[in-house]
Amino acid sequence: MIRFDNVGLRYGSGPEILRDVTFHVLPGSFHFLTGPSGAGKTTLLRLLFMSLRPSRGLIFVFGENVGELSAGGRSGLRRRIGIVFQDFRLLDHLTTWENVALPLRVMGKKEADYREDVTDLLRWVGLGDRVHAYPEVLSGGEKQRAAIARAVIGRPELLLADEPTGNVDPAIGNRLLRLFVELNRLGTSVIIATHDYGLMEQLDAPRLVLTDGHLQIR
Amino acid sequence: MTLLNDIRDYPWTSLLTGLLPARLAGMLPARLQSKAAQIVPSASIAGHALTVVIAIMSFLACLTLGAVYMVNQSANAWVNDISSEITVELDPINAADIEKKMTLVALFLAKQKGVNRVKPLTAEDSAKLLEPWLGQSSALQALPIPRLIAVEIDRSNPPDIQVIKSALTQNFEGVTLDDHRRWQAEIKTLTRSAALAGLAVLSLVAVATIAVIISATRSAMVSNRGIIEVLHFVGANERFISREFERHFLGLGVRAGLMGAVAAALAFLLLPFMMQMLGGGAVTAAETQRLIGSGELDLKGYLLCVLVVVVVASLCMITSRLGVIRVLKTYA
Repeated sequence: MIRFDNVGLRYGSGPEILRDVTFHVLPGSFHFLTGPSGAGKTTLLRLLFMSLRPSRGLIFVFGENVGELSAGGRSGLRRRIGIVFQDFRLLDHLTTWENVALPLRVMGKKEADYREDVTDLLRWVGLGDRVHAYPEVLSGGEKQRAAIARAVIGRPELLLADEPTGNVDPAIGNRLLRLFVELNRLGTSVIIATHDYGLMEQLDAPRLVLTDGHLQIR
Repeated sequence: MTLLNDIRDYPWTSLLTGLLPARLAGMLPARLQSKAAQIVPSASIAGHALTVVIAIMSFLACLTLGAVYMVNQSANAWVNDISSEITVELDPINAADIEKKMTLVALFLAKQKGVNRVKPLTAEDSAKLLEPWLGQSSALQALPIPRLIAVEIDRSNPPDIQVIKSALTQNFEGVTLDDHRRWQAEIKTLTRSAALAGLAVLSLVAVATIAVIISATRSAMVSNRGIIEVLHFVGANERFISREFERHFLGLGVRAGLMGAVAAALAFLLLPFMMQMLGGGAVTAAETQRLIGSGELDLKGYLLCVLVVVVVASLCMITSRLGVIRVLKTYA
């Protein structure tokens, strides 16, 4: 599903942030991506999401060489990936419901076909009473859950999450982890970047550990 | 097929609601109201200043097109008139015999093949033709004004003008024939010049409109960069993102185009009154009428104004689409 071959990345003429990163992500797998702050976790997620180009090496996403893809080709692959950002990236002028429905709207689906699905998912992540609320009135944890709901609403084949439980209490964190596990059972590959050892210990999943730009699999 | 799909999938209802003020849009039937929230908010696209600039461009385009159309119509009518007429001019050399000479020449002309009607103009008629320039004065009677005979010819079976011209020269002293060809050529030159000048003005208006839309598109994209990034993250392609922007610019183009066209239509309606209000006298009126006819647009002229709205709106939409796609390529 995902293959990195000797991938390196540097910004401009600066030092390499990632060095010789090589790994495979198989369909239906579950990985944690961890490492100290500044180790390059977010950068690696951005490479996975094709919003950055590597300075060297090859990246294959769903069997496609990302370096050879057109902008349209990358958009097509992104629709198969859900991503949760650390800073949520919700659109402030859209309601929670509209934010979560955005990927389906982008796919060209009709609102009548997904209205119930979006509402059900929001209820499931504990935002049933915040459907019409705008992001500016949501708490950090609520924004986090809305961002996660937006990432998973399109049933992605690959889910990338950057510190998805960083802003929620342990109970909600566990519930979100259950959501990721459930998605994984349904066939979605999941990569969660996290510092939260408590979260990682709840699940027996391989860890991609980044240290000084080098990746190890434990 | 892609174009057909684009047309079919286009959010036309959002365009309709975008054209109307929010209060009026809310009063539309539910099926005509756009249910989906705008991904790119209208307020982030462009302010009233851009609408006013585009409206002024449309106004100028309509005025130019309307004026060229009127000049063209007037010139065509004039060419038609003078091509079915020739004028015989008698020098007032021997004023005592001039009336007799007028009768003889008129009788001679009436006998020629291809001549439908011969109309000798009286001395008063000839003087009246000079009134717009020389004013009403009894002094006109004292001037040696040439006498004229208007000859209407059969356009389907025209006479041999050269033969008539030679016969007149041989038989009558001081008689000349004008077949108006020089005037026709000059009118055609004038019409062509007006059309070219109009085209130049329209080109400038189009370039200015494109430039202002490109600038507005770039500003809109800068202020909506966060939204564009999110759209990228959820898998939106360039076409989807550009459509979110272009629908705003299409609405803006239609709105501003209509404002400009309505203002221009009012200007054309009021043009004859405005000339009077500005103190234009008989000469101004005569010269203006000679140039642009009655000074009023007919239905075709107003349809040209509608065409300007369509072109301006399309220009806004296409320019913004290309502008967005161009900027998106730098994001990738």
